[in-house]
Amino acid sequence: MLARLDRWAAGLTSLAALLGTLGLLTEVVIILVDVVGRYFGAPLRGAQDITTMTMVIVVFGGMSLCDRLGGHIAVDLFEPAMPAWLRRAGDIATALLGAVIFFGIAWTVMESAALSRMLNLSTNIIQLPKAWFQTVLAVFSVITGLGMTLRALSLLAGSPRPAEPRSE
Amino acid sequence: AEDISFAHFVPPQHTLTSAVIEPLAEAAGSGESELEIKVYPGGELGAGPLEQYVRAVQGVADVVWGLPGYTSSQFSKTMISELPGVRGPDGHGYELLWDAWDAGLLEREFPATVPLALWLAEPNVFITKDREIRTPEDVEGLKIRVSGSAAARVIESLGATPVQMPATEMYNALQTGLIDAIVTGSSAIGDFKLDEVANSYTLGPSMGQISFYVVMNKARYDALGEAEKAALDSVRGRTLSQSAEEGWFARADQIIEGLKSKEGTTVIELSAEEAAPFNALTEPLTDAIAEEVDGADVLAIMRGDG
Amino acid sequence: MTDMSIGLTGLAVLLVLLTLRIPVAFAMFAVGFTGIALLRSFDAATGLLASESFTLASSSELIVVPLFILMGNVATSTGMSRRLYDAAYALIGQIRGGLASATVIGCGGFAALSGSSVASALTMGKVSLGEMERFGYDSRLSAGSVAAGGTLGILIPPSTGFVIYAILAQESIGRLFLAGVLPGLLLLSMFVLTITLLCWALPALAPAGPRTSAAQKLRALGGAAPIMTVIVLTIGGIYGGLFSPVEAAAVGAGLVILFGILSRTLTLAILWQASRDSVVTTATVMLILISAHMMNPFLALSHIPQAIGAFLGGMDLPPMAVLGLILLCYLVLGCFLEGFAMLVLSMPIFFPVIVSLGIDPIWFGVLVVLTLEMGLISPPVGVNVFIVKSIAPKVPLGQIFIGVIPFWIAMLLTLGLLIAFPSISLFLPDTMIGTG
Ligand code: NA
Ligand code: NA
Repeated sequence: MLARLDRWAAGLTSLAALLGTLGLLTEVVIILVDVVGRYFGAPLRGAQDITTMTMVIVVFGGMSLCDRLGGHIAVDLFEPAMPAWLRRAGDIATALLGAVIFFGIAWTVMESAALSRMLNLSTNIIQLPKAWFQTVLAVFSVITGLGMTLRALSLLAGSPRPAEPRSE
Repeated sequence: AEDISFAHFVPPQHTLTSAVIEPLAEAAGSGESELEIKVYPGGELGAGPLEQYVRAVQGVADVVWGLPGYTSSQFSKTMISELPGVRGPDGHGYELLWDAWDAGLLEREFPATVPLALWLAEPNVFITKDREIRTPEDVEGLKIRVSGSAAARVIESLGATPVQMPATEMYNALQTGLIDAIVTGSSAIGDFKLDEVANSYTLGPSMGQISFYVVMNKARYDALGEAEKAALDSVRGRTLSQSAEEGWFARADQIIEGLKSKEGTTVIELSAEEAAPFNALTEPLTDAIAEEVDGADVLAIMRGDG
Repeated sequence: MTDMSIGLTGLAVLLVLLTLRIPVAFAMFAVGFTGIALLRSFDAATGLLASESFTLASSSELIVVPLFILMGNVATSTGMSRRLYDAAYALIGQIRGGLASATVIGCGGFAALSGSSVASALTMGKVSLGEMERFGYDSRLSAGSVAAGGTLGILIPPSTGFVIYAILAQESIGRLFLAGVLPGLLLLSMFVLTITLLCWALPALAPAGPRTSAAQKLRALGGAAPIMTVIVLTIGGIYGGLFSPVEAAAVGAGLVILFGILSRTLTLAILWQASRDSVVTTATVMLILISAHMMNPFLALSHIPQAIGAFLGGMDLPPMAVLGLILLCYLVLGCFLEGFAMLVLSMPIFFPVIVSLGIDPIWFGVLVVLTLEMGLISPPVGVNVFIVKSIAPKVPLGQIFIGVIPFWIAMLLTLGLLIAFPSISLFLPDTMIGTG
């Protein structure tokens, strides 16, 4: 059961990272087009609107993958001195706290998205609705929170500690 | 004593303190009220000006200062006040904004808050480095930094290219020649130290002006006692707005006077005749944009013929 | 509980959470959120969580973070970084620690391009850490060099730190930029001196390379030509007014991609992998920045900085003693807060004290920026150390913090020199712009 859920979560994580990666390459293209265009007196209309909103996808798109790869930084100074049970408790607490934080971000940002719709908020030049990008941020946060919940559950069910951080 | 938190994103020595916060604090503690204004300057209660209105609605702060132009989609009717020619040469921006408010035309743009002040800054001017602007031809083809979509339209109407960038980047951009000019109110010259890199300023063409709001969370306002409410009401509206607008104008005058006496700096004050060719290009935009946002009635009231 | 004691308790809880290996960002979110909820209201805490997450994730200034990471990643995976370090090795490899010194000098050069320490550490780290490992450098030395060298980004102009200081203090941006030049070069020299002394005392840190012939040097330099061209074009473009420092990040990334395609070292698969890695590193760095911005309102609401300011203002001490105490506060606050957040929080409180004592605000600005830089590598919340960790996940964080200690001491000595000789900071602005 947990294994199947984890495959689902892995799929969602990959999808989010894929969108983030596409977003990053889009940023490069948009800024280059704007810079070259401006040199010839025709900058890209709303370039800053597009790049700032795409940035949301880049930043939160990679969040779940980052967590899966153990990319969130912790102070490991005292780890060697810790008994095994304390390290395990720390791992579970981290996963649970992370899940609470990311579900919390998703919930509060969705509340803000409702407010954005009420206030009719959009970007200044080409009117990209703010609520769209807040929703994207919330969805990516939910995916991240799900991954953490699953890790907490599998740790509680007795699975071994996660592997060492990735190497590049 | 009860505290009211006031969040803004400029340093404590900004005009905002003397022109808005101090009169507000004085009124808040007047009569039988003992309200105190606790100020959180420089973005202490959250970074950046974009989310100021939202912060008031969500109760992060009780009172916030902000610019409609940063989130112009929310304030499409209020923003009509920023367009060229809406405020006449001797008119008062706060009067025309409150006229529109009293006519019930702006209320929908300020949900969940109570506006304490609405006002307009001094007129926008050209800020340039190593070039002088005297005629519309001088502007053609220039890359000009603007802050919003209406300002961008004004710049385009003059045949120039609008460029978007964060305010903190203006200094570098003007210095390196990335942009040729900046169009904004003259108080920004002091706020962002633009006088260190610019050396020519053109005043007079009708290019609109920036608007501001100070709003208070509505639930917080409603929950105040009678004495406290009365204290705030004694200054809320035109009184506080007038103080704000006068403060902005005084600061702008002081900056322009300083520039005039500065060596190597040209301050070009166009006469009505010299400004006319600019205005012939920029002012027709005002009716067109008001029409687009379905705000002909707002424009009429703001112009005083509603 | 009073506001102050809630604030101090929050900092203590933060320390405990970090000691228990809770990720840095999670710990700051938890403490910041709970603190704001207690000091103001639950609604304010949820409002700030939403607005700080979205504002920072969509900030037009922070776009440089993913873009410079991408530039560093592509330069590394196409072998451009390798050839750059081959050239540096051929030139100065026979000197012990030469590559670490070259990295710090590279950080200084990159600082002239970028206004941000985060961007400097990220890009130079991506380019250099693997290379120094290849030549057998101790990871503490290489990580320490990058974490410390990256901080030069906000001392050497252009600098976002000085722009923010100038706007908060209403001081001249141009004077501050000029004031940062000599201290930046002094600090750079102190870093190189530190590396040289370290390697002299502990030769195992960095093995010396073989002597190379002039022909070998020339060939290695030729190999580094593409990346040198990218750097020169990017810096030239900023000063020539073709693009802004933020846009330079995209131009730099675009140019290394272009060179990679032209030299057939970059396939679509490599580009994709480099971009995906960049997105993951971006997530690490941005989450720490967002969580750091939850700490700022929390401390503002606790009024701890005001209490310190009132205490300092009320004491009858000579100006230099007050200056020393204020800088000490910056060093302590710098342990917990991200640099710019700390500047915003502290300036309204400390700056009036400085002005009333007749201390030169430009000089003070340089001293403050240097203490901010020290905060970037001070535990427990040392953003530049976290950045090096995000690039080199295999190196334990404790080892990186150990690696930065000598550099931190070098910065403290530099701070002492800058206090003893104000003219190091004020000479350039006074001669080039004039006094007053
Ligand atoms: Na720099
Ligand atoms: Na620190």
